[in-house]
Amino acid sequence: MEFNYNDVVAKVADCLVRAGSTFRQDKKDAYKCAIQCEELERAKWNLETILENAEVAERDRSPLCDDTGIPHVFVEVGPNRCLTGSMMKAIQEGVREGLKELPGRPMAIKGNDAERIDMSGGISPNSEDLALAPFLIKEVEEDVIRVHILMLGGGPAIRGITHRIFHKHNLQVVLDEIVARAKEGTRLLGCTPCALAVGVGRSQFEATALMMEAMVYSDFSKQNEMEKYITDKVNESGVGPLGLKGKTTVLATFMKVGPQRASGVRVVALRPGCCFEPRMACVEL
Amino acid sequence: MEIRTITAPFTDEVLSSLQVGDIVNVSGTIFCGRDAVLPRLVKLMEEGKWEEQGIDLKGGVIFHTAVSRAGVGPTSSNKAELEGTMPQLTEAGIRMFLGKGELKDETIAMFDRYNAVYAVIAPVTALLNSKVLSQKCIAHPELGMEAFYELQVEKFPCIIAAAHGKRLS
Repeated sequence: MEFNYNDVVAKVADCLVRAGSTFRQDKKDAYKCAIQCEELERAKWNLETILENAEVAERDRSPLCDDTGIPHVFVEVGPNRCLTGSMMKAIQEGVREGLKELPGRPMAIKGNDAERIDMSGGISPNSEDLALAPFLIKEVEEDVIRVHILMLGGGPAIRGITHRIFHKHNLQVVLDEIVARAKEGTRLLGCTPCALAVGVGRSQFEATALMMEAMVYSDFSKQNEMEKYITDKVNESGVGPLGLKGKTTVLATFMKVGPQRASGVRVVALRPGCCFEPRMACVEL
Repeated sequence: MEIRTITAPFTDEVLSSLQVGDIVNVSGTIFCGRDAVLPRLVKLMEEGKWEEQGIDLKGGVIFHTAVSRAGVGPTSSNKAELEGTMPQLTEAGIRMFLGKGELKDETIAMFDRYNAVYAVIAPVTALLNSKVLSQKCIAHPELGMEAFYELQVEKFPCIIAAAHGKRLS
């Protein structure tokens, strides 16, 4: 199918700016609800400040956070649609343009493999040099090509963990281990309230891909039984907004369970997303 | 809610009046640095070369942040390169660290010996950008956004998270 290269670039660039500068309505509503529930004055104030920041960022189309995140792309492809290499190039160019406009934090590391690991190659001064993470592609029933852009920050990457859990044929064992890992991660995160993203799969790759999918389809107003259990248990820790105590350590949990292996192990990817995550937007091409 | 504004650099009197849980606005001159530059500053201090920099840290504030086109916002103060440099920077005159995350008990005890405090600032970059009046790089420009910066700011909102040997609980 023919496509207009410049049109895709413009749409994707706008999508990235929206991802980095806006809260969706369901997230705003979750914050308002949390403000009502908090009893500590400073916890309320923290949540109100984060919400006020979101309003200013949306108005100015400016970054929610100075760590504007690493761009990740998730593409839905319908049954009669075709995602070509040329279209993927246009999406990459759109990401570059979006990073220039937002502007993204200039944090691309230069140099060869060794230099990029220890940063001895230096930092590029250009926001747009920040490379896109590998594409994730999913077939869907709807006849669309829809691009979701997620901007993943560094704090949650530090506190995230992908590791096996031996389930002992008991769901509770897995849920409680997720809660234990989430409590540790949110305690150290600093940028709470958190949105927990969880993927349960058969390999590290699959679990992480499922975790990304959980974020893409997240809705703060919808929590299934397992998600609500995890949210409620982690909130018992009392870490609270910005780690300064309160009822709202976690606003919501988004969990995607994939096919599982006939064995005693489950691979669980857990990302304690910061107060801005999932920081994302989508656009149809 | 009425929020008190304090202006950096701070006097001992102002520092003594701060209590954990206080919500304050910080105005005035603040320094900004993070993982890359602060260990380099400490190394200069250890080598006796700090005076050559001509930077007066007395009563000052260090905000744990990069300074880039995207703005400013706190990074985790409990990273080894940041919490590990607090003792030397405090000894050199810094009296407030602005950042996020939980610090160790020994760090909070160290602050108490110098009448220094730790304040948590929300990662509200869009809001903070509107409160930065000016900025300039004052050391290690080769580090780009991770260099040492001096900012003039107006009413950065923050919460005192550790003071006088106590932490928020």
